[in-house]
Amino acid sequence: MDVISNLLKILSDFVADLIRSILGFSPFLADLVTMGLAAVVLITFAALSFMGLTYVERKVVARIQDRVGPNQAGPFGLLQPLADGIKMFTKEDTTPASADRWVYNLAPLVIAVFALASFAVIPLAPGVVGTDLNVGVFYLLAIGSGSIIAILMAGWGSNNKYALLGAFRTVAQLVGYEVPMLLNIIAVVLIAGSMSLIDIINHQTLADGNPGIPHIVYLPLAALVFLISGIAETARSPFDLLEAESEIVAGFHVEYSGMKFALFFLGEYVNALAVSLVFTVLFLGGYAGPILPPYVWMLLKAAVVIFIFMWLRGTLPRVRIDQMHALNWKFLVPMSTVNLILVMIAVKLFPTSEAAARAFGGILVTPAAQALILFTLNIIVLLVSLSLASRAARKQRLAEAELLERRRAANMAAVAP
Amino acid sequence: MTIQQVVFAVLAVAVIGAALFVVTTGNLFRGALMLILVFFGMAGFYVLLDNGLFAVAQVMIYIGAISILIIFAVMLTRGMQAMIPRNAQATGAAVAAAALFVAIFLAFGPLRLTVDFSAVPVLSALFRTETARTLGDVPWQYANQPVPETYIADFGRALVNINQYLLPFLLIAFLVDAVLAGAVHLARQRKPAELIAERREIAEEEAEEAAALRGAASPEPLPQGAMAATTTQDH
Amino acid sequence: MQNVINGIPLWWYLFVAAALFCIGLYGVLARKNAIAMLMGVELMLNSVNLNLLAFWRYLAPGSQAGLAFAAFIFVVAAAETAVGLALIISAYRSLRSVDPEKLDQLKF
Repeated sequence: MDVISNLLKILSDFVADLIRSILGFSPFLADLVTMGLAAVVLITFAALSFMGLTYVERKVVARIQDRVGPNQAGPFGLLQPLADGIKMFTKEDTTPASADRWVYNLAPLVIAVFALASFAVIPLAPGVVGTDLNVGVFYLLAIGSGSIIAILMAGWGSNNKYALLGAFRTVAQLVGYEVPMLLNIIAVVLIAGSMSLIDIINHQTLADGNPGIPHIVYLPLAALVFLISGIAETARSPFDLLEAESEIVAGFHVEYSGMKFALFFLGEYVNALAVSLVFTVLFLGGYAGPILPPYVWMLLKAAVVIFIFMWLRGTLPRVRIDQMHALNWKFLVPMSTVNLILVMIAVKLFPTSEAAARAFGGILVTPAAQALILFTLNIIVLLVSLSLASRAARKQRLAEAELLERRRAANMAAVAP
Repeated sequence: MTIQQVVFAVLAVAVIGAALFVVTTGNLFRGALMLILVFFGMAGFYVLLDNGLFAVAQVMIYIGAISILIIFAVMLTRGMQAMIPRNAQATGAAVAAAALFVAIFLAFGPLRLTVDFSAVPVLSALFRTETARTLGDVPWQYANQPVPETYIADFGRALVNINQYLLPFLLIAFLVDAVLAGAVHLARQRKPAELIAERREIAEEEAEEAAALRGAASPEPLPQGAMAATTTQDH
Repeated sequence: MQNVINGIPLWWYLFVAAALFCIGLYGVLARKNAIAMLMGVELMLNSVNLNLLAFWRYLAPGSQAGLAFAAFIFVVAAAETAVGLALIISAYRSLRSVDPEKLDQLKF
């Protein structure tokens, strides 16, 4: 049992030992080789899950829309990703005549690199993590902004109106939705007391390794907003207007073909996978779980989050660009800010550690009691902001209806003899 | 030659090369991309200085915000792409910058070229001190200790400590608030009536100016063309 | 050697920072495009930050002065870019130019 649950850790230690002792490398060189190997393994994992995800997504969306999905290549269409890969490889690689060649060719590479870089800090099992940064959460947010640059490069480099429009839309969306994401991550960091992803998981685990209270119980509202902004950050439906096929052809990657297009595709799926893994770490307790080995728990939880993404994609229509920005700036950001301030106050008033209670005063409570307080607070904020939003929406609807009525009356009066 | 030295050398060459490209190129979009490379190199330097927090903050603020703003500005002022990259004082500026660099290098580099102020007539009067002050002879005291594990927490506490940096921190917060308000003001959706009135005003002024230039005695009434020209911008 | 950390003496950082500062200075003085001038300013601010953090690491890693100033420079640089670019774009809308030499009217 122990061997199975620590399989990844044992394997990585074995490889590290092998390199260090048997091959007789110097410690520094051994570290370098081990890190390189780890990077290769992580990237392979990401790329393989990209292939798997395309298949699963097509199957799931097909089920939701009452279709069968890919079923020709191999049993159950399982070889479909391979067929897609071969198709991508054999496509002609085109470059627009008036493109900025360097920028155009560099953009897919940059987006793939930044998408893969986020895997460096995500812990997959105890002891199995690229590097345990003490600013891990911050690092993830910073890396996320790199893909914006790549999108701008693609949009500008293609020298195409639709591509540039798509790039503008994308940047407005990604920059905007970074704000609620950040605000809600800060709430998690506040209650966990650390920016390291491993510390955040440990805060959701009991001392004996069993799962404790996951952060989604502490902060249901933060989890919800994080999920919404995560979908927007990865530009998935219903926030996929940067590549709205029916409006601006395909957005910033309209000019790309063959493997370069595949790299954009990879970046998109790997980002979605990274967001679901981060959501798992921040809110669902990461790899903590009973009976099953930790890496299985990690992947299971992430799979559930990814399934929610696909479910939303299969069922929701695309939002309009003004609706999307209004949702972000007029609803999510104010609500998250208020929520964050309340969480700050509550965490200071009801600390769980004795040292904090002694240093700043406040009532010492157990984690369960703190979770209950924060849960209630979150639900109250959510209900209040929802009722405010619905009141504002009703007002606007009535005003619009009145305007329409007045216009209709004016038209009738003009037509009448 | 340790690995850190190699990394430093690579970063230094990349940063300085990219910076030179930024200030000499005519293609501003590529210049902005090279500026991003400079920012990345700075983040690398911060990692070498054992300061992961600032490295990540550098990536987040400079690459996530500032360079995107700059790229947007370059895109929005696309008509300026064909501009000559240098102005008339470029040669003088190059000489001045190079001279400054050489001066800094001689004074603070490994050579430590010292100038005794007390020997120079004017400077000795300015620096009236007991000991002979020499340029470049800076008494730096190397701490020679590792960065404390808790430097992020210490830094955070220093920012909200009234005896340390609370006041500048609040001032910075005010600055950001003011900038935010200014940005909202600039980007605010103006009412159509307001816009039309403003454009009419501008059109009237332009018409007056044009009339004055032509030497016509009476300013025309609001010309139809001016309004048409201004309304085409409305999208 | 006392002043060497990770095999790098302090003056290497100062050298790079000085070079960046002078390149940025040249950019500000010699460019004809206001956005390019702003890029030069960014280079100079970055070099100052590198200097501050290098001194923090080598001379006083236990104190917060260097960190605080560097952080304030981050914020000021972001604010300056936002306002500067807004001004440049609004000037471009009126004058169809971003050449600072053409911005010679008090009202436009």
